[in-house]
Amino acid sequence: MMTRNEIQEKILAILTEDFEFDNPGLDDNLRDDHGFDSIDAIELLAKIEKMLGFTLERKEKEQAMSIRTINDILDYIEAMAASRRS
Amino acid sequence: MTRRVVITGCSAITPIGYGKDEIVSSLRGGVSGVKPLRDDGLLTEYIHSRVFGTVDYTIDYEFSRTFRKTMGPVAFYGCQVAKDVLEAAKLEPEFISSGRLGVSFSSTHGSPTVQRDIYKTFFSKSKKEFSSIGAVDYLKSMVHTTAVNITRMFGITGRVIASSTACTTSSQSIGLGYEMVKYGIQDAMLCGGADEYDTTTVAVFDNLLACSVDYNDRPQATPRPFDQNRDGLVVGEGAGIVLLEELEHARARGAEILGEVIGFASNNNGGDLILPNLEGITATLELALADAEITSVDVDFVSAHATATKMGDVIESQAMYDVYGDGPLVTGLKSYMGHTMGACGAIELIITLYMMEQGFIAPTLNLETVDERCNMLRHTSGVTECRADIAAVQNFAFGGVNTCLLLSHGLRS
Repeated sequence: MMTRNEIQEKILAILTEDFEFDNPGLDDNLRDDHGFDSIDAIELLAKIEKMLGFTLERKEKEQAMSIRTINDILDYIEAMAASRRS
Repeated sequence: MTRRVVITGCSAITPIGYGKDEIVSSLRGGVSGVKPLRDDGLLTEYIHSRVFGTVDYTIDYEFSRTFRKTMGPVAFYGCQVAKDVLEAAKLEPEFISSGRLGVSFSSTHGSPTVQRDIYKTFFSKSKKEFSSIGAVDYLKSMVHTTAVNITRMFGITGRVIASSTACTTSSQSIGLGYEMVKYGIQDAMLCGGADEYDTTTVAVFDNLLACSVDYNDRPQATPRPFDQNRDGLVVGEGAGIVLLEELEHARARGAEILGEVIGFASNNNGGDLILPNLEGITATLELALADAEITSVDVDFVSAHATATKMGDVIESQAMYDVYGDGPLVTGLKSYMGHTMGACGAIELIITLYMMEQGFIAPTLNLETVDERCNMLRHTSGVTECRADIAAVQNFAFGGVNTCLLLSHGLRS
């Protein structure tokens, strides 16, 4: 079970290295500030699945489409991890 | 009412160099870009033809991830040559996004590298592997991937044409773009084609007995268009693009006019999908002359399709002789780089432009003993310093598609 800080560290690394974000801030608007689009969202979900170690259901993936910030991503990952524990 | 269509920019990535200086140097020096076939870990070892027209130099792409993420290798080629031309042309941003600039560009497939990876995943029969098919794989492998990656990168909002007709892909792209401008539908078009390194294409042509196999130990000695010892085509890779512009539009912005597209024709043989067809090819050449409102004696140079297949060169020679006689110089430019497939028409047109501008015509490489059935033509003998005002660029494709583009050096007089 990863802490929020550990998740944050991994996500920031992914966004910086794989998505080439420049100085990402936790409350930056992903689309407006970093050009993050629906294609990126799908690609990020694949990386999140790998991080979590399980496959997300289609409805769970659809929930991710409302994500706007990095903090939203962290909330989403925590929620998905919690759903598998419950 | 029709409008005149001029060429105001061009760029090519080829097995004999990137850009005018390198390509002209290779042509003048008789340098071949044919190299040994790479082992890509698939069925390569079983392919009889061990040669490929290879782009083996590094290209410094400076595309951000925003654009890279939807691009396979073929789109990298396409976007790079488009970037070259747009940077040199310095078109106003307002014009680029006005809807009056379109793109006519394609490849024989999308990206075969990406397609292969998708199918490898499919055949893995693993749920885990299934999820590895990326969100962007479709965008990289769809047949108009090059055209729309270009529109996306540069914010182009006009017509998109993705002619995907094998070996006539980019000659059709240019011809259809020419018609878009000529008939007033667009004011300018970026036109051309690209194809990436692809072993599967070699395998297919190999099994059709169309590939060169006798020169595996000396790749630069093949292909040999019109030569009596030719033994087939050599698959290659590359990209070529031209900026076509309506004459007054080009003049108004002070653009350098490299050439003018004065005629285009394309038809189909209406029958066999593989065999060359004398009647169909001859008709194409005549239709292009009619479109340009010139006669065959006006043509100074012919860039022949000349793949170096046993029958293709003979039929094309007969068609050229029937239409042009022995008047124009004839060169098969594939002898330098192999058959760059979806890129060949654009690359061969650009090389023709370079030669017209520099006042020389390069000979067909490896043409040592002309096949007697191709001997009635005026084959370019050595690097020939001469003036060529009007040239024909002809290409023919599987599927029976034929094209002929006619262009003038500078503005047609």
